[in-house]
Amino acid sequence: MTRAVTVAAPPAPAPPDEPRRPAPADPDVSDDWFALEEPSGATDAWAILGIAWRSIRGNASRSLLTALGVIIGVAAVVALTAIGAGVTRNVTQNLERLGTNLLTVGAAVTRATGGIVRSGDASSITVGDAEALRDLQLADARVLGVAPSVTSTVQVRAGGLNTTAQVLGTWPDYGVVRDLEPAAGAWWSDVDVEGRARVAVIGHDIAGELFPGTDALGQSLTLGTHTFTVVAVLPDKGAGFGSPNRQVLVPLSTYLQRLARSQVAGGASAQALSQVFVRATDARHLEALQADVTALLADRRGEFDLSALSFQVQNQADTLESLTSVSRTLTLFLGAIAGISLLVGGIGIMNIMLVSVTERTREIGIRKALGARPQDIRLQFLIEAVVLAAGGGAIGLALGAIGAGSVSDLLGVAAVLTLPPMAIAFGVALAVGVAFGLYPAQRAARLDPVASLRHE
Amino acid sequence: MTPPSLAVEHLSKVYPLAEEDFYALRDVSFEVPVGEYVALMGPSGSGKSTLMNLIGLLDTPTEGRTWLAGQDAGDLDPEEAAAMRNQHVGFVFQSFHLLPRLSVRENVEVPLTYAGYRPAVRRRRALEVLDRVGLGDRVNHHPSQLSGGQRQRVAIARALAMNPSLLLADEPTGNLDTETGMDILALFDDLHRQGSTIVMVTHERDVAARCQRVLRLRDGRLESDSAGRAAPAAA
Repeated sequence: MTRAVTVAAPPAPAPPDEPRRPAPADPDVSDDWFALEEPSGATDAWAILGIAWRSIRGNASRSLLTALGVIIGVAAVVALTAIGAGVTRNVTQNLERLGTNLLTVGAAVTRATGGIVRSGDASSITVGDAEALRDLQLADARVLGVAPSVTSTVQVRAGGLNTTAQVLGTWPDYGVVRDLEPAAGAWWSDVDVEGRARVAVIGHDIAGELFPGTDALGQSLTLGTHTFTVVAVLPDKGAGFGSPNRQVLVPLSTYLQRLARSQVAGGASAQALSQVFVRATDARHLEALQADVTALLADRRGEFDLSALSFQVQNQADTLESLTSVSRTLTLFLGAIAGISLLVGGIGIMNIMLVSVTERTREIGIRKALGARPQDIRLQFLIEAVVLAAGGGAIGLALGAIGAGSVSDLLGVAAVLTLPPMAIAFGVALAVGVAFGLYPAQRAARLDPVASLRHE
Repeated sequence: MTPPSLAVEHLSKVYPLAEEDFYALRDVSFEVPVGEYVALMGPSGSGKSTLMNLIGLLDTPTEGRTWLAGQDAGDLDPEEAAAMRNQHVGFVFQSFHLLPRLSVRENVEVPLTYAGYRPAVRRRRALEVLDRVGLGDRVNHHPSQLSGGQRQRVAIARALAMNPSLLLADEPTGNLDTETGMDILALFDDLHRQGSTIVMVTHERDVAARCQRVLRLRDGRLESDSAGRAAPAAA
């Protein structure tokens, strides 16, 4: 650093009588310090970065437009995967909350028919099936509880207020099966089921909306045209898939008589159910119990082809697996779509860079005349593309995080920002910058200096 | 013995055409010793620009060789040619060719950047050569804020920045009014007195008259050499 530097002397005046003669071999009075400084011989990359940065900044609006595709692409990847991960976590948590020793009996979802099997179809699980399973409970110590469920969405009114709730008809064991201990009051009993009592256990949100600031216990609410008495309020189980917060739970018999949309011929035991839950006392018994329940129902329903049953008995692990695989597929799918937009963003960069090379042909020519090597020019344009992609990627990460946050507020699902998709999105943005920057940079590097200087 | 700043030997540039090859330059040879101030004259189409581009290593000859400060500039790949151009040739163009986004000082720093000098050295050197051309007080201006004469001074400072073996000026007063043009020519005179080797393309006799030596081109051939040192190619 501390090299001796001679202060540049003013140019020596030439002898006045010899104006056309060169000063004999006395060159560069002011250049000797400069000759002492060793150039590295290679342009330093920081200087080229500086050149690239100035050109980006000098054309800020075009630079932003160039990076826009990458910004949107990265933001989309980050937001969509975060929301997807949020949904996955939500579903998983809700299922895990149910416990692992739960069997769910429902109609088989047959891929052959392609459609969703609705309650009321011939293949539906019926009240009779549920009763058969309750008989099993009495004989089998491995069964902790059996509870059917049949649901519909209805308007609920109380006082001057009203809201929408999911009404669920079931048995008192539902509390045992789903681990729903009331925060206040007590579950209605078998007696209420027998007597088709108009009693209801309500979820936390419903209580808050219909009876704000007051005790809901003992109050009346109206489901459709029928008035029910609130006997218990459930604790807050959190929002999301499968949460009881927006449910109103009534005796199955009451539901079937007063609230079911249509009555089915064949008496009460032929009534269709959505599902029947069977809870084992211990997870160890689950597999054996699953087989026994399947055998019992197949026998009862007269089905002997075990490969084509009209119902299915799933344990929690199966359900969890199928749901997470669905949501993982969804997340991947969203990510792939977002990835395509990132690719399109890269093509946008290439497009503008090609325009930029043409526009700056003369600048390139001048730089070459001044000693810029083709590799210097190539590096300059490549760095420009990468800086644009990286900048766009960074802005995209921020926008994606903000977007995921606001969308998750809207959906009521907490988005989960995880590092891998963010890192991948940013990495892909950088790779896109390099990949789509190479061709324009190569074009710039190969421009003929003579022609470029003449270019207007 | 100091090698000449510039030597060209049997330089030809041929553009193949359908009918017959077009010789933009045909077997041109001459030397320019260190410190000489040479005018390169000739009507348009005589091959002046072609010769300039070949001397400045912007183009490659079909035949022949160029030496800059004793170094053979034949058979260079584009990377090597750029490095040699950077080190040995200082261009001054008719239309200045400054980079509009950069300040005066940054324009002068461009060749130093490509040579790999440290920022502090670049800056000091740029300020020094700008001082030498009388623009020490305009270093942070941008080209658009300068007059034509001042812009050409910046271009000359930029050409001097690397202390090149050869200043190659292509009609440097062509875009300037007479008075400003005289100032620029006076600056070249000064540089010449200070020892710079200058090759200046011009078609004005009074410009050429300031030079020590006049080379005339016609139809791609070296027609005459006022110093009589280069043997004109046989017609």
